[in-house]
Formats: sequence, structure tokens, C-alpha cells
Amino acid sequence: MKKTMKRAHIVYVLIAAFLCGVIFLGVEYALNAPTWATDRANTHIFTRGIMTTAGKILDRNGEILAETKNGKRVFSDSPGTRKACLHIVGDTSGFISTGTHSFYRSQLSGYNFFDGIYGLKHGGRESNITLNIDSEANRIAFESFGEYNGTIAVCNYKTGELVCSVSKPTYDVNNVPEKLRTSPEYEGVFLDKAVSGIYTPGSIMKIVTAACALENIPDIGSRKFECKGEFSTSDGTIICTDKHGTISFQQAFNQSCNCAFGQIALELGAEKLTSTAEALGFNRSLSAKEIPLVKSRFHPKASSKADTAWAGIGQSTTYVNPIHFLSVMNAIANGGTGFSPDRIKTMGFAGEFVGRIPETMVKMNPETAAELKTMLRNAVRDKYGDDRFPDLKMCGKTGTAEIEGKKSTSVFVGFSSREDLPLAVICFAEEAGWGSGAATRISNAVLQYFLKYYA
Amino acid sequence: MEKTQKTQPEFRQVTVMILMSIFQLVCAVCVISAEKTVNLHLVYIFSGFIAAEWLYMMFGVMITGNDYFELEAIAFFLSGIGLTVCASFNETFAIKQIIAIGLGLLTYIFILLIIKDVRIACALRYPAAILSVLLLISNLILAKTVNGTLNWIEIGPFSFQPSELVKVAFILVGAASLDKLLSNISIVKYIVYSLSCVGLLFLMRDFGTALIFFFTFILIAYMRSGDVKTIFLICAVALMGAVLIISFKPYIAGRFEAYRHIWEMKNEGGYQQTRVLIYSSSGGLFGLGLGDGKLRNIFASSTDLVFGLICEEMGLIIGFAVLFSFACIAIFAVKAAGYSASAFYAITAVSAAGMLLFQLSLNVFGITDLLPLTGVTLPFVSRGGSSMICSWGILAYIRAAGAPFKLPPSDISVNKRRKKDKAA
Repeated sequence: MKKTMKRAHIVYVLIAAFLCGVIFLGVEYALNAPTWATDRANTHIFTRGIMTTAGKILDRNGEILAETKNGKRVFSDSPGTRKACLHIVGDTSGFISTGTHSFYRSQLSGYNFFDGIYGLKHGGRESNITLNIDSEANRIAFESFGEYNGTIAVCNYKTGELVCSVSKPTYDVNNVPEKLRTSPEYEGVFLDKAVSGIYTPGSIMKIVTAACALENIPDIGSRKFECKGEFSTSDGTIICTDKHGTISFQQAFNQSCNCAFGQIALELGAEKLTSTAEALGFNRSLSAKEIPLVKSRFHPKASSKADTAWAGIGQSTTYVNPIHFLSVMNAIANGGTGFSPDRIKTMGFAGEFVGRIPETMVKMNPETAAELKTMLRNAVRDKYGDDRFPDLKMCGKTGTAEIEGKKSTSVFVGFSSREDLPLAVICFAEEAGWGSGAATRISNAVLQYFLKYYA
Repeated sequence: MEKTQKTQPEFRQVTVMILMSIFQLVCAVCVISAEKTVNLHLVYIFSGFIAAEWLYMMFGVMITGNDYFELEAIAFFLSGIGLTVCASFNETFAIKQIIAIGLGLLTYIFILLIIKDVRIACALRYPAAILSVLLLISNLILAKTVNGTLNWIEIGPFSFQPSELVKVAFILVGAASLDKLLSNISIVKYIVYSLSCVGLLFLMRDFGTALIFFFTFILIAYMRSGDVKTIFLICAVALMGAVLIISFKPYIAGRFEAYRHIWEMKNEGGYQQTRVLIYSSSGGLFGLGLGDGKLRNIFASSTDLVFGLICEEMGLIIGFAVLFSFACIAIFAVKAAGYSASAFYAITAVSAAGMLLFQLSLNVFGITDLLPLTGVTLPFVSRGGSSMICSWGILAYIRAAGAPFKLPPSDISVNKRRKKDKAA
């Protein structure tokens, strides 16, 4: 009898095992509930995998870019705005994985552990997301691209707010083209090239090479370089755009002289170049706040002199991610601290009160940043001309990225040094041909808009 | 025994009852106000349910003269949640469920009365064993395939699962036959009986219930023998048997292929589990409100998946409260076993608590993918008459152990063992 009573304690073991299961379940909920609740099979939010019920997406001026009306997702009235903001807003099926609809779907559902999606079901404001993006700036950028594809991103370098971001090709979500998946004209349409694209940088890479030179060659400012239009190493030849003759470091930067920068790159060597590039965020998995970026790549072959020289002038196997390089420009403009471009202004339950904390993506020696800033300002003033960027006190560098079998990509990176317009810009215009015309023109058009309405 | 002999005539349960009634009233108001017009039938059902609780408690106190009604309170709490879920679907479900609760309560009282005397319980073991095997065999012959298993019988407008009723008999047969004489013959008889039950359930492809029976068998065997080695041996043999069966009938394993891979198979084998996780996490801690959930549109949401539905519409807190309620029942069972008048009651209480806890685990952890999905019901809460009657019937075994009934005249086994103890 007593033994049987004692054996009854086996139930405690069962209870303990059961409670372990309950705790395990509780932990699983705590860890995974946001993912589970915003799964595409959740018919509270999605209808046959398409997002139908979610919070509003607003631009920085309160313009509604997407909202739910009568159980359907409704976008901006203007076709231009819809196309220009496609990659930022995202599609409702989730093909654009970095779009706000897909990437921030948990926040758009207003999900929180305490209330679940109660707020969404009962029209709460906590499911809304306000972007830093100015949809009008996006539309202007989109129109300025004309027939070119490519990407542009504009960021406030003092705060990290991403105020404009466009990727092309794009399409109208209200009028999806039939050939979207088949036609080569829409290749890469589901990719937000600003965050998920990488480009051959061309001459803008000379900014990184210059940074390395400023830090490693003490007398770089007083050096003279010889340019005869081409420059041979033991295993290859670097071709320059022109015969620049004897030039200084700043002149070489202004003229974007391949011979001079090839020599500098060789003098520095692959190792030092790589170390500077990596310090600036190359070869690293970065993210713009929550959104993961495709890695910028810099891998010069130390064994090949020509390869090192080409890498130093932005060709060869060097690739940059636009948002990452924008953050490099942020660092130069902002005294060494390059904030992470952040598209979100407010979101979530207490978003309006808490705001967003800027994150640093790229750090640079403040002295190097100051010297680079001067060089970039000189380049615009002396080479490209301030009349290309009226009233902007622009600092910048153009580039032409040569791609085999295609017309070149026109590139521009820069920032306004006006106190009242702390904006940095990066623009890639694909197949826009030799020269920097297209990218500088598009960048200027967008910055002029901001100058008019924000400065 | 001292504690149970104290009489506490005042009705202390009253606080619990008032709180529970308030909770159930809130549930009722939520359900009834969800529709535009007040459904009077639902009003009658809920008020009848709450009245039944109070009447049971008051008569209980008057008849037994004590105040130990925690167990019934928990069962009423769980049944009330189940009734609320049914009522939030439609009136028919609610009517059927309230009838099921009534039948469950009657079964509960009936079983309490017949096992009051161990001798009656022992006398009943042969009829119960034969009847339960016959029930399962007839089930196998008459069965209608529902959701891959053959465990339903339809008689006119009623359908029921005989395997649920057999659960109640299984504990009685096990505890009584082993309590009576721990002879080799009684052990062999019991093993044959258990094997035939588990085997028949296997043939019906009701693996979940088969597992519950096997688990209860192990528990009874342990309670009786206390021999851990033998238990391990049985488990090892069973495991080998399971491996053999699966290698001969691979479709059995196929039914569990989604286990731990539900998100890869979320529209096939993992459909129910993923929906439970998706919607239960949508509800947060406080739920979306009765009737506002989406899990209710998924097959079996008021039966097997009811835990997910409760989490989605009433919130994780109430969902987990349901789970902890069962832990409380189990704790009660251990305490009751300690006070029980005979080893028979200790065994029935422990095996009943183990059975409930095990079935609950198979259900809740099955639908949330912690265990393979076997399709068993959540005791007291899932919609369905057989399940409800079985749950209350099993509960009676726990109550019987702790009930302050008079000591039955000592039976043979007690005497025998006392002699043995003395000899030793």
C-alpha cells in the first residue's frame, strides 16, 4: 500500500515533463511568434499569399503610398509615384523582398507579442509605417532617368535619413505588364538595385584609393605624377583617358587620371588598399538598419601588378553596393561618421515618440574625411563646374564603369556642402555611355528639388 | 486519512465558483453579443450550464458534507471554455456540447458510485474488458473513415468514437485485475487485453489513441510492480515492434513525415500545424475576440485544433491556463492517491491523471509540432460527445481516490499484502 502511494510520485515526473514541454512551447512562441503571425498563409493579413490587410505606408510628408481599403491594397493615385516608389514600397506578393511590404510586414501587421495583430484588426495606428522617402523626389528622379535603367539614392548625412531611393527597371503595380517575367526589358525588375545591386564603380573608386594614399603616403599632396596616356607594368598596361602630362595628386583626382592612380595603387600595394577598403566596409556583410545589403567587393590579386592598378581605379573585380558607398560619402561629408541610410521614419507602437536611432555604417579618420571633402569640392569646382550643380556647393566625383559587351555605366557620387542641405547622393545610370553626363544630370535634378523645398 | 475525516460543512468553494461564473458570463456575453439578435437558445444553454455547476456544488456539499471540489471546478472551467468555443460556431454545436457535458457529469457520478466499493469494481472487470474489446471490434467492422482513421461509428444522427469509451474501461480493467491478484495469470490476462486494445486501435489507424492506451498500460504496470527494468524492457520491445510495423507499412511513417518540417510542407502535411502556429501567435496574449479568428475556418478547429483557436481568440494566457489546469488535476491525483483507501484507487487515480496528461500532450504538442500530429482530442475542451464523456469518466477515478468516502471493507489483496509485509 505504502509502496503504491510512493509510486504515485511518478505523476510528478510526468507533470515535470509536461511543464518542460509547455515551457519549450512558450519559448518557441516568444522567439517565433512575429514570424509565424506574419506568414503569408495568415489570412488576417494575406489573401492567397497577397498582402491585403496591413497598415498604411506614408512618405515623409504624409503622402499615402499604400493603404488597405475595403479589404484591398490601394496604392498612390499617380502612376509616376507608383513606379518611382515601387522598390521602396514593395509589391504585395513579396517578389521584391526588400520592399517595405515584404521586409517590414511584421511591423505593417502591427504585430506585437502582447496584442498579436489586434491593432490591425481594429484599425490601430501602430501598424502604419512612415518613410523618410520623399515620394515627389522619387518621382523626379524616376523621370530624370528617362529611358536609362539604374539606381539613385539620396541620404541626409547628418541624420542618416534616406530621402530618395529609386531603382529601374520598374513597373506599375496597378497595371502589371504581361511581359514582366519574360521580357529582357524587365530583367532585374524585382531587385532594389540600391540595396540588392552591385556595380563596377569606375572612377569613384579613386576616392577609396585616395583615402588609402592620404593615410599611407605622407607627402602625397606634394607628389607629381607623369601621365603619357598609358602606363605599363610588368604584366599589363593601364590606359588613361588622355595624356595628362605632369600633374599633382589633386589634379590627378580632378582629371581622374588612371596612370597616376594606377601608380599610387601600385605603390600602396594590394594589402594596404584592401585594408583601407575593408575599413570602409568592403567585403563585409552590412545592413542599412534592418535591411541587409549585398556585399561590396574588393579583391585585388596581390600577385598581379596590373590587377592591383586596375582595382585601384575601380575596374577589375571591384564592385560596390550603392547604399554602402552612399554611407562612405556620408562619412566624408559628416566628419568621418557615415550613418546607415535609413528609409524608416517611424513605425510600431511607440514609433512616433521613440523615433529611430541613427546607426553608423562606415567610420573614417576625420582628417582623411576632411581632406577628401576638400578634394571632392575642388573636383566639382575646377573640373565639372559648379554650373552643373547650381547653388549646391557640390562635392563629388564622377565615374564611368566599363562593362564588357555593354555601353558604359555613368556614375556620380557626391554631397552638398551647404549647411542647410546636408544631402549625399549616389547615382548609377546603366548604359548611359561614356562620360558622366547622365548621372550628374539626374543627381542635380533631385538635389535641386530638395534645395527648393527643404533648404 | 486524518485530513479527509475532518468535516468542513461551510461552502468555501464559493469564491472559486463566483470567479468562474463571472468568467463564464463574460464568455457568454461575448458569444451572444457577437450576433445582431440575441439568440435565446444560447442564453438558456449558458445559464443552464452555470446553474448546473452551482447545483452540483451545493448538492455535493450537502451530501458529502465537505468542500473538496477543486477537481470538478477545474473540469467545469475547461468544459465552459469548450462550450464557449462551440457556441461561437453555432447553436447546434452548443446544444450538442451542453448535452455532452450533462452526459459527462452523469457518467462521472455513475462511475463514482460504482467504484465506491472496490469489490464491485473488481467484479466489473471481466464484463468491462469483454465489452470494450467487442466495442473496438464492432468499431472496426462498422467504422466510417474520418480523416484517415476508422474510429467513428454512426448510429442515426449520432456518431461516436468507441475508443473514447474504452479508455474509461481500460483503467478500470487494469487497476482491478492487477489489484485483485498479482498472479501470473492475471498479468497475462491483462497483457492480452491491453495488446488486443492497442492492436485493434492500430488496425483502425488511430495511432494517437493506441499510444495513449500503451502509455496507460505502462503506467499501471509500473504502479503495480514498481519494477523500472521491466518497464524499460516493455518499452524497448514496443519500440522494436513499432520499427517493424513501420518498415512493413511505410504509409504509417508517411503520415508523420511533416513532423519538424511543417513550414516546408505548409500546404500539405504541415497544413494544420502551421495554421495553428500562425493564428495562435496572431492572437497575442489577450486574443482577437471570440468569433474574430481565422483558425475557425480550418478543418477540425473546434476539435483537435481547439487549443490554437483558444489562443487566437481568447489569448495565449487563457490557452496556457488550460494547460496548467491539467497540471493541477495531476497534482490533485497524486495527493488523492496519498489519501486513498486502497491501492486500487491509487492506481486508478495515477493512471487517469497520466492518461489525461498524456492525451493533452499529444494534442497540444502535436498541433504545435513539438510532437508528431496524431489527431487526438483535448480532454474536456474539444467539441464532441464521446471525448467529453470519456474525460469526465476518467476524472471520476481521480475523484474516487481522494473522495472522503467511508473506508471500504478491506479486500483480499490488502490483507494478503499485509501478511506479506509482516512476513518480510
